[in-house]
Amino acid sequence: MKIDKKLIKELVDYLNEFNLTELEYGESDTKIKVSKKKLNIPTTNEIVRLSSEKKKTDLVKGIKIISPIVGTAYLASETGGKKFVEVGKKIKKGNTVMIVEAMKTMNHVPSPKDGIVKEICVEDGQPVEFAQVLVLLE
Amino acid sequence: MFKKLLIASRGEIAVRIIRACKELGVSTVAVHSDVDHDSMHVRLADESVCIGSQQPQNSYLNIAALLSAVDVTNAEAVHPGYGFLSENYNFAEMVTKHGIKFIGPNPQLIKSMGNKIKAKQIASKNGLTVIPGSEGGITTLDQAKKICSSIGFPVLIKASGGGGGKGMKIVAKESELENSMNEAKNEAKKYFNNDEVYVEKFFNNPRHIEVQILSDKNKTIHLGERDCSVQRRYQKLIEESPSPILNAEVRKDLLFKTVKMVEKIEYEGAGTVEFIYDNGKFYFLEMNTRIQVEHPVSEVVTGIDIVKEQISIAAKGYTTLNQADIISRGHAIECRINAEDPSKNFQPSPGIIGVCHQPSGFRTRIDGEIFQGCKISHHYDSLICKLICHGRNRTEAIQRTIRSLDEFVIEGVITTIDLHKKILMHQKFINSSFGVNWLNQEKFY
Repeated sequence: MKIDKKLIKELVDYLNEFNLTELEYGESDTKIKVSKKKLNIPTTNEIVRLSSEKKKTDLVKGIKIISPIVGTAYLASETGGKKFVEVGKKIKKGNTVMIVEAMKTMNHVPSPKDGIVKEICVEDGQPVEFAQVLVLLE
Repeated sequence: MFKKLLIASRGEIAVRIIRACKELGVSTVAVHSDVDHDSMHVRLADESVCIGSQQPQNSYLNIAALLSAVDVTNAEAVHPGYGFLSENYNFAEMVTKHGIKFIGPNPQLIKSMGNKIKAKQIASKNGLTVIPGSEGGITTLDQAKKICSSIGFPVLIKASGGGGGKGMKIVAKESELENSMNEAKNEAKKYFNNDEVYVEKFFNNPRHIEVQILSDKNKTIHLGERDCSVQRRYQKLIEESPSPILNAEVRKDLLFKTVKMVEKIEYEGAGTVEFIYDNGKFYFLEMNTRIQVEHPVSEVVTGIDIVKEQISIAAKGYTTLNQADIISRGHAIECRINAEDPSKNFQPSPGIIGVCHQPSGFRTRIDGEIFQGCKISHHYDSLICKLICHGRNRTEAIQRTIRSLDEFVIEGVITTIDLHKKILMHQKFINSSFGVNWLNQEKFY
């Protein structure tokens, strides 16, 4: 059987145009079926529902620096500015590791202990919930 | 209709609101304390945000955390449920000021009805009979003595910032007045941050009857009355609709006057006007500007989804329902299942629920949030579940409720399931010959 590339492309284009996951076309005794898997695109829903991420950080060893409030995490004091901490940096107890902004109030999150930053667990501008792990210290 | 709504509550009412939202196509945000992260309301919502630690003041009463959660999730509306901040006008005002819709009446009405003295004045001004007593707060012993001599003892000293059966002192004679007044003021300050008290005539064993209303900009309708006279220390245990002791004429008058009052104050949303019923007369008690625990009783009798109506009225400004659409059929009974031990003075029984089999069947409804393995915390209300049964008449409703309670299995915590069975099988309940003090006076359980 000769593969009609043009027809297949046309069918695939229709899939996208009409937002379908499957399309079957037949003529006499020839049938062509094109299908695609639906992509799971993360939305703000995913960012806020953090149970799987929480479980990951539960298993990791180290000192967890957690968010004291619900808000938005910022890694620097201003957009594009120098980050408070980087991975591998030595920090002291009381040093600001992050800002969590809630209702336009900037809350500095201090480190509870001296240590070396092992991981920064959130992204700049990410919504965070109470007790969410922000930074891991060794 | 709203795209996203945040539920500022927990437990069975949060589940109830989430269910209504799902059916309306509204996306839901659950908030929870750290200990509630596995709760049913968190599992059922589309999104969840942990807002604080287990103590209510750090989480469910934490206005800043709630507003922040609204902000990070872009919720358009907040449903406060009942309890917590549902009648806190500051919260309602702040939510509204941020351009978010608060599911409830305007903050000013919440404020007026939250002050029990003001609420009484409004009710009286708008055609309802109020309980004889002081017209405002009382500050001096002399004032109190004067009022008591005119209304007669016994009297009740109540906190004007109170409500829900809390912060009240019974005074049997004048010699006790001074001490009771001081105690009442101190408790009022402690629990409600407001030491203003007022005096009312005390009814020894009245009945408690309330009217469910739904209101929009143009009209107010009623969904009939509920009789909530089975109480213990002023906390409701069993509610039913319609009231088994009212005749058609008295009922008609009560419903008519209530609707008129609510119309006059330009109320919007769902609400309940509560009354004391004593010796054939109704006296206004208070108005609750929120959804009530026992709302399902009215829902099963009328077929109306009150929570959906609340959300629709808030979103659109009106309800499509008219009084002619409200047709009450049959009789409904609700049992509030609490995690408490009646044999130990109703001591709360927190723990982890083991085997859990909930009843079902024809006209049997459960509004709850419990499941095998769920944790019942001592930080929150002990209400874990509500059983609501509907019958063609009161006898069938009682039979159905007893049948359902027989099927109900909850292991791991002690509950009031057996207590409800004893109450429903008692001759006084069957004959409706009891008042709100029945269970305080007769400890047959």
